[in-house]
Amino acid sequence: MSTLDASTIKKVIVACDAGMGSSVMLAGQLSSALAPYSVKVQHAPVNQIPDDADVVLCQQGLVARAKAVKPDKPVLGFTMFLGDPVFDKLQKAIRDGGDLEY
Amino acid sequence: MTRADEATSPTPADQPAESRMSRAKTAIQRFGGNLAGMVMPNIGAFIAWGLITALFIPTGWWPNETLAQLVDPMIKFLLPVLIGYTGGKLVHDQRGAVVGAVATVGVAVGSDVPMFLGAMIVGPLGGWLIKLFDTKIGHRASSSFRMLVDNFSAGIIGGLLAVAGMLAIGPVVRTLTGWLGDGVQFLVDNALLPLASLIIEPAKVLFLNNAINHGVLSQLGVSESAQTGKSIYFLMETNPGPGLGILIACLLFGPRMMRASAPGAMIIHFFGGIHEIYFPYVLARPRLILAAIAGGASGVLTFFLFEAGTTATPAPGSIIALMAVTPKGGHLGVLAGVAVATLVSFLVASLLLGFGRAEKARELQEQVAAGGPVDDKR
Repeated sequence: MSTLDASTIKKVIVACDAGMGSSVMLAGQLSSALAPYSVKVQHAPVNQIPDDADVVLCQQGLVARAKAVKPDKPVLGFTMFLGDPVFDKLQKAIRDGGDLEY
Repeated sequence: MTRADEATSPTPADQPAESRMSRAKTAIQRFGGNLAGMVMPNIGAFIAWGLITALFIPTGWWPNETLAQLVDPMIKFLLPVLIGYTGGKLVHDQRGAVVGAVATVGVAVGSDVPMFLGAMIVGPLGGWLIKLFDTKIGHRASSSFRMLVDNFSAGIIGGLLAVAGMLAIGPVVRTLTGWLGDGVQFLVDNALLPLASLIIEPAKVLFLNNAINHGVLSQLGVSESAQTGKSIYFLMETNPGPGLGILIACLLFGPRMMRASAPGAMIIHFFGGIHEIYFPYVLARPRLILAAIAGGASGVLTFFLFEAGTTATPAPGSIIALMAVTPKGGHLGVLAGVAVATLVSFLVASLLLGFGRAEKARELQEQVAAGGPVDDKR
């Protein structure tokens, strides 16, 4: 477990296999939730995670691939696409500042 | 890539089996992801081709000889070239894309089948060769000659690859495609096609859905559809029935956490076509994969009996996309396959969830195991 200062997060990348389906849906939901804290949320294929990502979110099954592509980026894996506690954790950490475990 | 893998995974000696398994899974996912990555950005063009085919061919909604001329060049040249272009682009941006596209023309011209597989090989190959040139030789050119070197290196490498593609790579790929087609034809002739669900459904929930569909099944489908106007292969992975059945079963009999999110997931899955949404439900209760397989196989069988098919890949696998690319007169068969798959998968999933009893017992057990009094928590 390492930690990340949540107040430094400016850009969240949601990654999925193709970067066209589930990641677009999740990025849409998250970006409205995180807009008040001026955090940008974008989607990407897991093979093409952009360099300026502060945090990467992807389904547990794709975490190994995300880490292989960007070994130095914090990757948060979630299980469910709807209502996973990881989304709340991220939002809470960004709202309150403080450390985010990953 | 391998270096990164070694850095992040635990030492192989500790857990050889598991880490080798998960590494293999990651490798397959990445390979499949690259295949799908060449096709998926171009799905719009596939759908344009599918709609034009469904409308204007002699058996279509509005047969029109003039407009039907669009069908053949689109499938034989436009789509493979787009795939080769995107494949080159994945390797080396715009320069890779240009060389990949030129190289693809070499395999596409003179082929009587749509050269998707060939495009997936020569596209990235072209991108890789021009990347090799740029990093080894091209960067040494002085800046005043840079444009000359850049343009002619891309032109010469692309041209050579097109020639090699036409004379050497094309015939080899055609032979391979022929063998693959024969193998699949064997399954079709012996009515064994539903067995494919044994592979398709488990691969799907391991996030190999795009690789299976766009890497394998749509290749087969496009060849068949170009000849007969429709193909069952497009339906085998994209059928939203198995996932819908599982989600309904989870809504009624699933664990508490699943029940809450199932209705939203059903809409996103069935109408939005984002199948990924049901994978976690199966991964959380792995025996549900049996429901997906049973649903998928019975769906394929139903499609087979109705001789159902679609003209192009319904992507995403939403019921709306399925209906849109179904040829005239084929809607009943497609709907029947989706309905049967949903019903079978729902029944099997409900059985596997013990019609709710198993989950209630499990929740109770977890509460007791957590040490709390059974009733206090809720």
